[in-house]
Amino acid sequence: MKSLVRLRVNGIAREDAVPDNLLLLDYLRETLYLTGTKQGCDGGECGACTVLVDGKPRLSCLTLTAAVAGREVETIESLARNGRLSRLQQAFHEKLGAQCGYCTPGMIMAAEGLLRKNASPSVAEIRAALAGNLCRCTGYVKIVESVQAACAPPNGVTRT
Amino acid sequence: MNPFKHKGAGQRIPLVDGIEKVTGRARYTADLFAPDAYVGRIFRSPYAHGDILRLDVSEARALPGVIAIITGEACDQPYGVLPIAQNEFPLARGKVRYIGEPVAAVAAIDDATAREALKRIRLEVRELPAYFEPEAARAAGAVLLHDNRAGNLEREVHHEFGDVAAGFAAADLVREETYRCAEVVHAQMEPHAAMAAYDAERDHLTMHSVTQVPYYVHLTLARCLGMDAARIRVIKPFVGGGFGARVEVLNFEMVCGLLARAARGTVRMTLSREENFLTHRGRPQSHTRVKIGMRRDGVITACAMEMTQRGGAYGGYGIVTILYSGALLSGIYAIPAVKYDGYRVYTNTPPCGAMRGHGTVNARHAFESLLDTMAKELGLDPIEVRRRNLLRAPTETINGLKVMSYGLPQCLDAVEGASGWRDRIGRLPKGRGLGIGCSHFVSGSAKPIHFTGEPHATIILKLDFDAAITILTGAADIGQGSSTILTQAVIEVLGVDYARIRVIANDSAITPKDNGSYSSRVTFMVGNAAVQAAENLKKILVEAAARRLQAAPESINCMGEIYCVHGDSNRSASFNDVVAEALKGTGTITAKGTFTCPVEFQGGKHKGGAVGSTMGFSYTATVAEVSVDEELGTVKVEKVWSAMDCGRAINPLSVEGQVQGSVWMGMGQSLSEETRYEDGRHIDASLLEYHVPTIVESPDVEVHIVESIDPNGPFGAKEASEGALASMPAAVVAAVENAIGVRFTELPLTPERVLKVLADRKRREARRRRAEPAYEEGAA
Amino acid sequence: MEPLPDFQLLKPRSVAEAVTARAASAHARFLAGGTDLLANLRSGLIEVDTLIDLGAIPELHRLGAHADGIRIGAGVTLEELAAHPQVARDYPALAQAAAGVAGPTHRAVATVGGNLCLDTRCRFYNQSEWWRAGNQHCLKLAGDTCRVALKADRCYAAFSGDLAPALMVHGAIAEIAGAQGRRELPLGELYTDEGRAYLNLAPHELLVALRLPAAGGLRSGYEKIRIRAAIDFPLTGVAVALRRDGERVGELCVAATGTESRPLRFAGLEVLQGMTRDAALVTLDKLIRKQLGMMETHLVSAGYRRRATLVVAKRLVQRLFAA
Ligand SMILES: Cc1cc2nc3c(=O)[nH]c(=O)nc-3n(C[C@H](O)[C@H](O)[C@H](O)COP(=O)(O)OP(=O)(O)OC[C@H]3O[C@@H](n4cnc5c(N)ncnc54)[C@H](O)[C@@H]3O)c2cc1C
Ligand code: SF4
Ligand code: FES
Ligand code: FES
Repeated sequence: MKSLVRLRVNGIAREDAVPDNLLLLDYLRETLYLTGTKQGCDGGECGACTVLVDGKPRLSCLTLTAAVAGREVETIESLARNGRLSRLQQAFHEKLGAQCGYCTPGMIMAAEGLLRKNASPSVAEIRAALAGNLCRCTGYVKIVESVQAACAPPNGVTRT
Repeated sequence: MNPFKHKGAGQRIPLVDGIEKVTGRARYTADLFAPDAYVGRIFRSPYAHGDILRLDVSEARALPGVIAIITGEACDQPYGVLPIAQNEFPLARGKVRYIGEPVAAVAAIDDATAREALKRIRLEVRELPAYFEPEAARAAGAVLLHDNRAGNLEREVHHEFGDVAAGFAAADLVREETYRCAEVVHAQMEPHAAMAAYDAERDHLTMHSVTQVPYYVHLTLARCLGMDAARIRVIKPFVGGGFGARVEVLNFEMVCGLLARAARGTVRMTLSREENFLTHRGRPQSHTRVKIGMRRDGVITACAMEMTQRGGAYGGYGIVTILYSGALLSGIYAIPAVKYDGYRVYTNTPPCGAMRGHGTVNARHAFESLLDTMAKELGLDPIEVRRRNLLRAPTETINGLKVMSYGLPQCLDAVEGASGWRDRIGRLPKGRGLGIGCSHFVSGSAKPIHFTGEPHATIILKLDFDAAITILTGAADIGQGSSTILTQAVIEVLGVDYARIRVIANDSAITPKDNGSYSSRVTFMVGNAAVQAAENLKKILVEAAARRLQAAPESINCMGEIYCVHGDSNRSASFNDVVAEALKGTGTITAKGTFTCPVEFQGGKHKGGAVGSTMGFSYTATVAEVSVDEELGTVKVEKVWSAMDCGRAINPLSVEGQVQGSVWMGMGQSLSEETRYEDGRHIDASLLEYHVPTIVESPDVEVHIVESIDPNGPFGAKEASEGALASMPAAVVAAVENAIGVRFTELPLTPERVLKVLADRKRREARRRRAEPAYEEGAA
Repeated sequence: MEPLPDFQLLKPRSVAEAVTARAASAHARFLAGGTDLLANLRSGLIEVDTLIDLGAIPELHRLGAHADGIRIGAGVTLEELAAHPQVARDYPALAQAAAGVAGPTHRAVATVGGNLCLDTRCRFYNQSEWWRAGNQHCLKLAGDTCRVALKADRCYAAFSGDLAPALMVHGAIAEIAGAQGRRELPLGELYTDEGRAYLNLAPHELLVALRLPAAGGLRSGYEKIRIRAAIDFPLTGVAVALRRDGERVGELCVAATGTESRPLRFAGLEVLQGMTRDAALVTLDKLIRKQLGMMETHLVSAGYRRRATLVVAKRLVQRLFAA
């Protein structure tokens, strides 16, 4: 079964005939070639596929594309503005929040979701918000530091 | 003198490929654009051990949309990373030896068809007795997994250095204990993937894979496909972690190549997480019996260890692993006599391999644990007892390993201070404790696996009309940051701006051969090659500047972006001008640098003596603080202080990240990670049941960098990505003992294990109390 | 990863439509947050031809005061539930249970209904299709033997939702809509102790809401045991609600999850009334021991899970007494 699905992905309106059983992860990666969103497990266990739906983190590997019709989907590819890194991206880059980078898109999107509702989270809040995102490289120490750095007042350099 | 000293080495710079990673632009193997690719899938054995009687793929082949099907007949060339132990085929031939072993493979137009085809493959076997534990596999009369390995022993090692009997005789205290460590696995976040494109017209194969060793993949493809290596090209895209999972050629890579050729097109394979667990190559389950002799003052007089590893069904790196475990008993403390007996056993479980801290982790855990226990018995502080046994560099160990730089004493001082050890040890409330563990690791194996007479590492720098410097390297950056380190090394020598440099890595058609990213060899060996290449380039540039400025080369000062005449700063030329001068008459410049470990570093003369040999050992001391809930058996690591002697931190930010990742992985092995089989069936092959720690229970890890400046390392650097791991399990177990007075000898410390040991102890105590009530009361 | 089977996705706008759609096909399933169902579909555990997305039914999403207590729509997410001020204040066990499910990203979509109707779990069942086929399947799906209890003619797969015990100790009533109209029953009666047919719901029936009476003087708490501090299902999860009568027990309810094929509310706790805390703890321990019937359905032994259940129950009672 296919149906016509309208939704916005990274600010762009889409209208695609998608099979009812198409996972959002596969729609993003295979239909739109937005391969920034990763798959790390066999379903719901790692967080690598996290994207934002209407501004909130969501596991795209457990989401049907047709079920998010009419919604706004944001992926890692949408964060940079005017070609410049977002503050979170900048922080993950500079603080070594990303080593191999595989968990990074999911991690950053989960953190983005957090910062949109809580601009200055505590360490405990950061840990709670990223609890479903596994990383095998960093031991998470620099991930926590990256998120903290992203919400610290910008030192003169403002990024838009 | 050098005006741009520390512009490269010592800088906390972000990864040179970090922007791709944080923007999602980094392309990993599964991300490669290939709309025309067929989907490859593997049919795996549901039997643990059996002779293949019949393998019928006709029904699958008849399915519309199936392009190619291959079986063991597709390749009769055994492969394996060690030339002396090649006993694995890409697809099983004649026999299956573990549940999950690849038996056949399908390429189809889409995933659904490929899966449907797998369901139509019929495999019939005559089941053979299967062995899932070393004891069973070694028992008399056990059926052999491999005909040429009697007793199912892949390798037996018996080494003795120094006079062990005399050493034990000289001891005031001799203790012996057995430690068990469960099997663990890398669980890198990127699942295995490969893409092979076969050009039937030219008989060329291009392979993209997640490998840490593109060069071995290349060689093995040539071997297994019976193709001229010149017709093969191997490219490594971004890789989402390795930790050793990908330091040998893996069956799916060969299968993908074979399938592409059979399909006469492009085949993409992405393995499920479960298949990643079955591909395995993790750290083997080990039983380690260790015996130490100690004088009253804490000085070790002798050590004997017997280690049994459950190797799984195929050789892989097994021989190296079992040798490493013994070899690395030396090189960290001064031990005058060491005996080591190692047994690597074939079992009907997925093959083990190399995992971060290859070979040393479980042996080190056993040694450090017993060291602690004995220190306690002698009333010595755990840090102090380690101080009593320090080496003095430079030195050579009894098994022929050279120790050229040695920062362990400073590491001990650093964690002792940072953790507040002296004020806190023994004064923490019940349920909370501190413990220490130490470890070391090689900076690359001094003797390569393949002896070809070539240098151990090669780097090419290309400089052209654009005055940009391209580093061409075959070293695989798998997230550990090797491309960044090479960039920093080149900048440290040449002093140019970062913007001038880019790295092209891992395309066999472009970049020089490299043995790969394993045994922490890249910073040391490839780093040294990069330094040499940069120096060679600098020489060319200085000569060009001399010509340009009409001065003698000796009088030229290289200031990085500017070259000038010594003592006459008005006579200067910009980098671009110098490059233009250099290119005259020659065109594009390539400067090469190589590195080879001198033979005197390649280990002892005894059989297996090359394993463990290296030019520089890293050293780590780690203090862990834990809290223990005795009623529930749960252990939480609250904080970790880890000090590492990495020789010189070329990038301190990176070193911190590597140490944090290592000790954290050691924590996982200590507390929650364990691959389990039931009748040979992997029962926790998912990220839900294999418990990689989450961010919530992961502690802060405070890193202290100790720089011992190794005489041979690039700018004094040694490895930093593996060594710290092995310090962690012992530190955790010691901290738990410190917290609740019980020493555990089995990892991981799952709540269930903890409670079982506590309950056993209670029962024993109760029995003893019943037997000697008066004594107990008197003592209390 | 296994792809999803083929199915059609329906989006009914009302409970009645949803129930009708469900009744129309034997292989239709309700889809709420999908965090259990889609994962199970991907492992080939469930056969479907139709998924009925409950996301567009306004009635299911209501959460608020009702009579003296509260009414929670089955479509309310666990994130909303955990953050709801009245829930946090009056039904802390429920807020704690909701906050402890899976990870935060799951909870943002996972619903109360999905959590209560969650499929039962077993180490022989929650495996890939390849794995189960190689192990000759089991009673719960496509096989004829239970691998946990070889001689059993029932399935012991464990109910593992976190919310149920917390709701049960607060006396939750389940509102159910079906083709024949609506009915209600105490939440505990929604379940049977059989891993295959663990819900007393007809195939066409939909869980609409849960009603909780006013908390009165009940204090409650929930605690789960798991290996990691996030993501993991409960090895055991215990909810306790206590009304103190001075230094004595006024009323004490204890329920557990992860222990057998249904969430278990321990019976016979009336005898604790009037006891001091310590006396009550001793008796409670005995009562729980007698009723816990754990089987080896987990990778962690039943022995450990039993023991942990007792410890957690004791601690919760102590904590609530002290509060
Ligand atoms: C990695 C991982 C970890 C998890 N950890 C936990 C955990 O710690 N604790 C826990 O409790 N759960 C856990 N879960 C399971 C699941 O996420 C939660 O139980 C969640 O609450 C299920 O809700 P849902 O809305 O997503 O349900 P769905 O997946 O949409 O549905 C689950 C089942 O309920 C049925 N259903 C849904 N709504 C209704 C209704 N109104 N009436 C009748 N039937 C209905 C569906 O048909 C389906 O059979 C975990 C899942 C994953 C993938
Ligand atoms: S309890 Fe028995 S029947 Fe039920 S899922 Fe487990 S093995 Fe199968
Ligand atoms: S891919 Fe692992 S949670 Fe989605
Ligand atoms: S950076 Fe490699 S998994 Fe997180």
